[in-house]
Amino acid sequence: MSFAADIIRASRPRTLWSWSAAMIGLCFLLAGAAPLGVNGYGLYLLTLTGIFALVALGLNFLTGYAGQISLCHASFFGVGAYATAILTQKAGWPYLLSLFAGALFTTAIGAIVAVPALRLRNIYLAIATLGFGVVLQKIIFEWRSLTGGGGGLALTAPSIAGYELGANGLYYLTLILMTAGLFGAWNVSRGRTGRALLVIKDSEIAAGSLGIHSARYKIVAFAISAFYAAVAGGLFAYLVRYINPESFSAGLSISFLSMVVIGGLGTIGGSILGAAFYVIVPELLRGIKDAPGLIFGLLLVVVMVFMPQGLWGMLRRLGRRPLR
Amino acid sequence: MTHLAIEDVSVNFGGIHALEGVTFELEAGSIVGLIGPNGAGKSTLLNCISGITRPTRGRVRLGGAVLSAMSSAAVARQGIGRVFQHPELVAELSVHDNLLIACHLSLEYGLLSELLRLPNVRHQERTAAAKVANVLASLGISDSAAARVGSLPYGHRKLIDLGRAMLMDIRFLLLDEPIAGLNDSEISRLREILLGLRREFGLGILVVEHNMPFVSGLCDRLVVLDLGQLIANGPPAEVLGDARVMSSYLGEAADA
Repeated sequence: MSFAADIIRASRPRTLWSWSAAMIGLCFLLAGAAPLGVNGYGLYLLTLTGIFALVALGLNFLTGYAGQISLCHASFFGVGAYATAILTQKAGWPYLLSLFAGALFTTAIGAIVAVPALRLRNIYLAIATLGFGVVLQKIIFEWRSLTGGGGGLALTAPSIAGYELGANGLYYLTLILMTAGLFGAWNVSRGRTGRALLVIKDSEIAAGSLGIHSARYKIVAFAISAFYAAVAGGLFAYLVRYINPESFSAGLSISFLSMVVIGGLGTIGGSILGAAFYVIVPELLRGIKDAPGLIFGLLLVVVMVFMPQGLWGMLRRLGRRPLR
Repeated sequence: MTHLAIEDVSVNFGGIHALEGVTFELEAGSIVGLIGPNGAGKSTLLNCISGITRPTRGRVRLGGAVLSAMSSAAVARQGIGRVFQHPELVAELSVHDNLLIACHLSLEYGLLSELLRLPNVRHQERTAAAKVANVLASLGISDSAAARVGSLPYGHRKLIDLGRAMLMDIRFLLLDEPIAGLNDSEISRLREILLGLRREFGLGILVVEHNMPFVSGLCDRLVVLDLGQLIANGPPAEVLGDARVMSSYLGEAADA
């Protein structure tokens, strides 16, 4: 037993371990202290980064590990947002309970969407999920009595155990849930599900010969990623305090997919970097007159051309060089 | 003892008869060579047994279980291992991780425990890692445990693919051209491993291979296919003396 552990340990130098541990500690320290150092808008952006990172972490199971493209994650995000808002605002449930119930509801929708998607792959799957997304968005739009239709829903600040959740509170809640999501994603990546998804991406014939039911695992991947997206949606609704169906369009789905790819497919750190890139970089470019969209688009091209492994892959290569 | 029964199996691919009424049995503890010229239907037959191709007629049975009605994953769960002609490994993962994937069926924790990495997950993962280390040692490739599979020579990758089957608690093993691309020392190691698997676990082995000296030295019995039909089934010496086998097959591939 110790033999195997030795092999694994030998493959990673000790310095790298303590180096990564220090980096992770530093990140959490910075994240925890952030509300002290930024203004309200800065805090909004950081919260949004955490929310998008949660979506990207979930989508990474599906796209990065199982190799399945989804263009309906904005809709899962939206269903989570609406379910949480409706349960909290209209049914009067506690916010955290609504968030969780909304996420479970969306998980079920994710699993249902996965069933017809099992027959499709690549571009065909992308188009089919695009269709699912449009259908879900349309249902939200038409179900006026519940969702307010195109007029949207305006929300008041939620409270947890009697405490009203302000901008700081929501930021810390997002940080906690994102950390939990990160922990779950890391565990799955080194467990039987993560490995099964990787084999399915590589070869379904190989997966079958190892006793892995590809269909079952693709459904699991859709369901988990819908869960992550819905939790993020439930946070997002109360970050912006106003949601309407327009907020959850296919364009947002494409952004989610880009975050995972830009950050680095199949890497957990990459999902977070990708989300940060998507939120922070356009803000930095805002000072440039008339051209932020153009430059952001070009940056995406540059990242993809010169860093096919994404931002995380690049960072890892840079980080390893001095240690060798 | 249960045996693997191939019963009157036929496969048509759009009018082409890939297999026609093939019947034979593979007993536990026996090593059977499946030989025949290219296009004889050997790989198609392996695909029928492992649930990848559905027979048009006939069935494959293991005791009471009809394998030919199952998905490939369900067949694997019945204890049928498959080693492909070209190893189906995840190139970007390490050797150790590629083998760990084959422990899938022996890991019995649920998704929720996995997300939280509860103690039972850690315990089972440690046990699996130890099994992987044992298999690596018996394959003689412990040194490359941490190496990326994509960076290894072809022969090593084929051994790793066999290692996966060894981790799966199987009763029967199907091998498709296992020694193609292996060097002499790898071939003799493979031979020892296969004989060891039979000796220790009573494994039944069906091996497709063109190399006659290897097959006749290893197998108890040879089954010969030609144009989808079974033309001989018996001990190597007898089968290789058969005039029909000589004319259909040996003229073409004896030099392999």
